[in-house]
Amino acid sequence: MHLPLLLAAMLTVPVEYYRLPNGLKVVISEAHTAPTVTVAVYYGIGFRVEPKGQTGFAHLFEHMMFQGSANVKKMEHAKIVEANGGVLNGSTRLDFTNYYETLPSDRADKALFLEADRMRSLEVSEENLKNQQNVVSEEVRNNVLNQPYALFEWLDLWVNANQNWFNAHNFYGDLHDIEAAKIGDVRQFFKTYYAPNNAVLTIVGDIDPAAVKPMVQKYFADIPLQSVPERPDINEPQQTEEKKVKETDKLASLPALALGYHIPDQESPDYPPVVLLNLILQGDDGSRLYQRLVKEKAISLDWGGGINFELGNEFDYDGPMLLTSRTTYKAGHTGDAILKEVDAVVGDIQEHGVTAKELRDAKVRFRSNFYDQLESTFGKANLLASFALFHDDPARINRIVSAYEVVTAEQIQSAAKKYLVPANRTAIDRVPEKK
Amino acid sequence: MLIAALLAAAIHWPPLTEKKLDNGLTVVLVPLSNVPKVTAELTFLAGRGSGYREHPGVAQLAGRVLNEGTTSRTSRQLKEELRSIGGSMNVTVDDDATTITANALSEFSPRLLELLDDVAEHPAYPKSEVDLAKTNFAQEIDEQRSQPDFVANEQFEKAMFGRHPYGFVVPEPAAIAKITRESLKQFAGSHYAPNNAHLILVGDLQPDAMFDEVQKAFGAWKRGNAPPLESPPLPKREKRQIYFVDRPGSVQSTIVMGAAAPARKSPDYIPLRTANMIFGGSFYSRITRNIREDKGYTYSPFSQADLRRRAGSFFTSASVRNEVTGPTILEMLYELDRMRVLPVTKEELDSAKTYSIGTLALEMESQSGLANRINTIYTYELPRNFLVTFDEKVNALAPDDIQKSAARYFDTYRGAIVIVGDYAKVKDQVAPFGDVTLIKR
Repeated sequence: MHLPLLLAAMLTVPVEYYRLPNGLKVVISEAHTAPTVTVAVYYGIGFRVEPKGQTGFAHLFEHMMFQGSANVKKMEHAKIVEANGGVLNGSTRLDFTNYYETLPSDRADKALFLEADRMRSLEVSEENLKNQQNVVSEEVRNNVLNQPYALFEWLDLWVNANQNWFNAHNFYGDLHDIEAAKIGDVRQFFKTYYAPNNAVLTIVGDIDPAAVKPMVQKYFADIPLQSVPERPDINEPQQTEEKKVKETDKLASLPALALGYHIPDQESPDYPPVVLLNLILQGDDGSRLYQRLVKEKAISLDWGGGINFELGNEFDYDGPMLLTSRTTYKAGHTGDAILKEVDAVVGDIQEHGVTAKELRDAKVRFRSNFYDQLESTFGKANLLASFALFHDDPARINRIVSAYEVVTAEQIQSAAKKYLVPANRTAIDRVPEKK
Repeated sequence: MLIAALLAAAIHWPPLTEKKLDNGLTVVLVPLSNVPKVTAELTFLAGRGSGYREHPGVAQLAGRVLNEGTTSRTSRQLKEELRSIGGSMNVTVDDDATTITANALSEFSPRLLELLDDVAEHPAYPKSEVDLAKTNFAQEIDEQRSQPDFVANEQFEKAMFGRHPYGFVVPEPAAIAKITRESLKQFAGSHYAPNNAHLILVGDLQPDAMFDEVQKAFGAWKRGNAPPLESPPLPKREKRQIYFVDRPGSVQSTIVMGAAAPARKSPDYIPLRTANMIFGGSFYSRITRNIREDKGYTYSPFSQADLRRRAGSFFTSASVRNEVTGPTILEMLYELDRMRVLPVTKEELDSAKTYSIGTLALEMESQSGLANRINTIYTYELPRNFLVTFDEKVNALAPDDIQKSAARYFDTYRGAIVIVGDYAKVKDQVAPFGDVTLIKR
């Protein structure tokens, strides 16, 4: 080796973890390479379990969290964060809704104040709700209705691949449902889910934990805990036969195919082999499916895919999941021709397994991708918060790489046989509408 | 409550070590030990409009096939070697430059440099790869043109830059068919040369040791003769012009409105960048407060000071439902003119200063973020001390500087308005704002 491994000893993410008496989980992690800090609050409510008949509500509600609280007027949240040199955002995912600020590290107290104020005292008005119903409707038009393909690789695939309503509804929401939301629904949703005992507060960055803890105490300790309902049953019945769906697209000029296989639970011993199998099959232009479909057969223009595809990563969700692929392909070919190639590529692994080199390279690739998620304070906060929220164990962040080092080629082969079979698959072939 | 004070302490940037190889390659080495990886950006001054008059698309296609095989490695071998070092390599071609971006685990840095050099120095342009890339490039353009944002951007670039290379976005399919393997090799031979390039390395590295590895990998690469960058005059617009690209069935109008701006190295850049933050470059900006949070017309309005090596533009953009197309244009014009006519408040300016300085420091969180920022110093010929003097220059700005910058560059009277939408549905809302050129595709 020519260069010293400067960071060999640095691979441990420091984790301090405790709970306030009101149930709020708190994770603090020092990181001193940049003069920045991320403050993130993750609530244990995602679009998967939003109320039946109110599609898109979890996401609409996320917007309402920027509309003001007892001591922060509408738009003042953004004003304060930006005036302190920071950025902010929120997002709604399958199993959480998050809110975060990344700012110069001496400004952590501003973000903590803001997050505590809206956890304690969201204030909503009819006027602000109407305004955000318009904004969210424009978001749906902008990202879905006015776009070719309309995000079919997750919006439509989840609807078609699943049977349980919680996994199988329109997560972005029908415009009709979004526009029908009432102020009472917003208040009730806040009261039900936005409780300290249903949340994780994560602080990552160039800070001293001893200085941050008193701030956490000051701002969050007196927020009362609430009774949070049991999570509904989100289990997904076993799929027994292959599903194929045909869609037409008014705006696209080329056909596209999305496919998804149900994969095992994250706690299953089959999970790490499935994660590595995914890296052997797709994710970069050296992968088997890219090489087969884009280069050798020249049917596809691109090949993308993964676990929790377009919604997150292998770890920031909690429930049934799909391993997804998405490809835009050339006119004159068919979705079935692509599925045939997929089956041939997967069939080769089912029959002959993967090579020792492929296995070694997949582990290197996994490690490299995992480090990418540890680069920024937000990337780390996302993993720490997910591990705390779903497993009560943020220190899991330091055990992931070693858990994947022990996966064997046999495990990968058997995972391919067990999960990557047509009976466990849903495919949507989306073709341009004839003009 | 006191909202914010200006940042008290100066931001500490990691040191930049700049060196030059005998063959003219500029090398910049920057340690950032956040994760055990290293990121490389090798940038050639060859933008997408380079050579477009003879062969539209030649720069894009040459970039696209650059990492699809060398004289000693097939495309597949390259990709497999990258996988074994936890690496990736992509080529992008933008207005000013062709950049090979690569990264890998830092334990494999020498192998990453060797692969990067092989791709840059010995591209083979295999016939099969060229043929495949030509087919795919033509189809991708077809697909891109179904996206309203792409169409709006393409039309705006044409309106701003005309026959300047910046006015060229993508070729027509027929032009791609005419590009030969020989013309690609010729383009690569002249443009992808060490004396027309800079290499930025950021990550888990020691500058001196890493420079030794760079010398080993890139030392034998021969100089080339890149043609000088072309910079013809830009179109002059004496009055506002609307370019409407018809997209029947569109449920939104995508609007881009803007005017010419100077090159990035101009002293006007920092005032204009700061004016942009106040107008539409942040969430608490005037345009977001107005057309999103007050009126609910749109999800994601924004503005950008898009300043490049040779020229630039300032623009604001939003996608809005059809019924509010006219009202949105009206509000945009109002907000732009308001900044030209009235000074911004001290509070707004102080916020913009802190936001500007603070968010620049956030780029230090990732190797690619820092590499991109450092790359702008070399691609746009900025002063070498750009990062360390940035906060001082920003903090020196007064409301008057912002107003002057807006008066000059937020020029709605000689600007262009591009709209992509359903012409039959919204034309009456658009007509009051100026002469309309209708573009059907």
